[in-house]
Amino acid sequence: MTEIDVSVKNLTKRWGNFTAVNNISFDVPKGSFFSVLGPSASGKTTVLRMIAGFETPTSGDIFINGQRINDVPANKRPCNLVFQRLALFPMMNVIDNVTFGLRRRGGMSKAEMEKKANEVLARVDMKGLNERKINQISGGQQQRVALARSLVLEPTVLLLDEPLSALDLKLRQDMKLELKRLQHRMGTTFMYITHDQTIALAMSDTVAVINFGKLEQVAAPEILYREPATHFVASFVGENNRWNNGKVVELVDDNACLVDVSGILSRARMGEKLKPGDVVDLFIRPEMILLKPGKHEKGNIGKIKEINFDGSHSLVVVDLLESKTPLSINVKLQHTEETPDISVGDTVTLSWGGTKQPAANAFLHIDPPTEEKE
Amino acid sequence: MFAKIKKNKGLWLVLTPHLLWIGLLFVLPHIKLFWLSFVDKRSGALTLANYAKFFQSELYRHVFVHTALFAILVTLITLAISFPTAFIVTKVLGKKMKAVVLLAIVLPYWISELIQVFAWMVLLRETGVISYMLQALGITSHNIEFLYKDATIVVGLVYTSILFMIIPIINSLDSLDDSLIEASYDLGGDFWSTMREIIIPHAAPGIVVGSVMVFMLNLGNYVTVTLLGGKNSLWFTENIYNQFIVRFNQNQGAAFGVILLTFSVLLVWVVLKVTGQDMTEAM
Repeated sequence: MTEIDVSVKNLTKRWGNFTAVNNISFDVPKGSFFSVLGPSASGKTTVLRMIAGFETPTSGDIFINGQRINDVPANKRPCNLVFQRLALFPMMNVIDNVTFGLRRRGGMSKAEMEKKANEVLARVDMKGLNERKINQISGGQQQRVALARSLVLEPTVLLLDEPLSALDLKLRQDMKLELKRLQHRMGTTFMYITHDQTIALAMSDTVAVINFGKLEQVAAPEILYREPATHFVASFVGENNRWNNGKVVELVDDNACLVDVSGILSRARMGEKLKPGDVVDLFIRPEMILLKPGKHEKGNIGKIKEINFDGSHSLVVVDLLESKTPLSINVKLQHTEETPDISVGDTVTLSWGGTKQPAANAFLHIDPPTEEKE
Repeated sequence: MFAKIKKNKGLWLVLTPHLLWIGLLFVLPHIKLFWLSFVDKRSGALTLANYAKFFQSELYRHVFVHTALFAILVTLITLAISFPTAFIVTKVLGKKMKAVVLLAIVLPYWISELIQVFAWMVLLRETGVISYMLQALGITSHNIEFLYKDATIVVGLVYTSILFMIIPIINSLDSLDDSLIEASYDLGGDFWSTMREIIIPHAAPGIVVGSVMVFMLNLGNYVTVTLLGGKNSLWFTENIYNQFIVRFNQNQGAAFGVILLTFSVLLVWVVLKVTGQDMTEAM
């Protein structure tokens, strides 16, 4: 069994009548990159702040290294936080920022502290700027200093509160990969809070999805993407076509069923327990749809309405011709040697729902307004 | 864009009242004061006698040092009261309470310094409220005079100074991101180390501006000192007043004025240098 660094049990936080975090439990394995993913105001930051010690849980327990730390003050906890806006100390230079924690801890000479700080700064590729003030270095460099400032204390777990969100897109993508490499090199457990699913999926070993203070699913990114456990995860993680008011026609096996949406039949993975006759929402991954030019026996005939070019792929909107009510679907078409030549108005045949990997997921119907309430 | 404004005659129209204000009420009087201080009262000849008189008289020197030390003391006491208050107002209180407390701080300054001091006199004089209450409580059997003591002057000056210290400090603390304080705790800092390393360095410009203002105001204070301290107040401004009004010796008064001004400018300059603050930046 793997060692657990952080364990959260039945964690709840209420402010008056408002429940920010609702009975959440999860374990963070040692040395893993663990993400907490959720839309804004989902309670993910509150979870992080409770672990860091800046909020007191209304009920529930937090364990780090098996020790219950509910009553340990923030400055004594074996975890460090990288703040969303970094919170570097502008009144100090780079090296003083990094040695700040060591100075608080004491028991080391100034030379030892600086040696240690320099080692960590080197690991995050921040050499030679020790004397610079914080406002004299770039956003990416500030990111590195913030990481070094926390990592120098060798925390059991490093908490990160969306620190990449302040960076521009290009830098964010670079830092994303770098952060993951850094985590592998250092072996420190990272707990990363984000609303950006591309970051969560790309970097994490495990992702916990939170919505309205409730834990929706804890799983590896691939599982989260292919086999969403809840309606929310299916609609929040990754792009999806969503068809409301499907009807379960029959169960194919223990996991899959046949769904009828306006006369179009799809084979879908059952995200929860379903029985024939249930009204469901059908989610179909746009990149899992097979598109062939012309009319074919097997599949659904459609007419191309729009083609949106997007570099490596195109997003093709197709009106389905055989549905009882108007129905369209987005298809993500990868540009390769074999990509067929198509243009707007062409007739194409689409198929999805093979047995190897589920392209479609079915969940009991939920009215769209409730989940888009944000 | 700035060049455009420079050429614009409208700018001069806007600036004129300010230039007149500074020129007529600040620059000219000071030139005149400076000139007068080097002129002999009777003969009208240039002389250093007015300054010599200050340095030769032990009494004047004593009063001057006394004034300077007390102005510094009042500044320090005002700072000691204002900083914790400003910290609580900006970082501890909720939005609503913050407004209430701020109003309570500002409210006394809606009335003039003179009235504020009269209020203190009502409280502190021999037949005043405090003396009466002490007797009513049986703590003492006779009237006690609280006025005309150094401590009373200090209390009065601190009271009339607090606003000028607290507002700049609140301003600078307001701009301190709370996450810096949290970051300090997160990295193992406690209350004192966070105060020393993060909060005070951040508030330093506000502290310096407030201290300079309070020091200047107190060094040149006349009303509070005279009313609460009476004849024994030993405040240097009283000497200046006496030379101008009582003895009709404008030249001697001007010399005292220049000495006071030079000292305060010098001290402020030294403090700014030592603390590494820049007044224009801090403002």
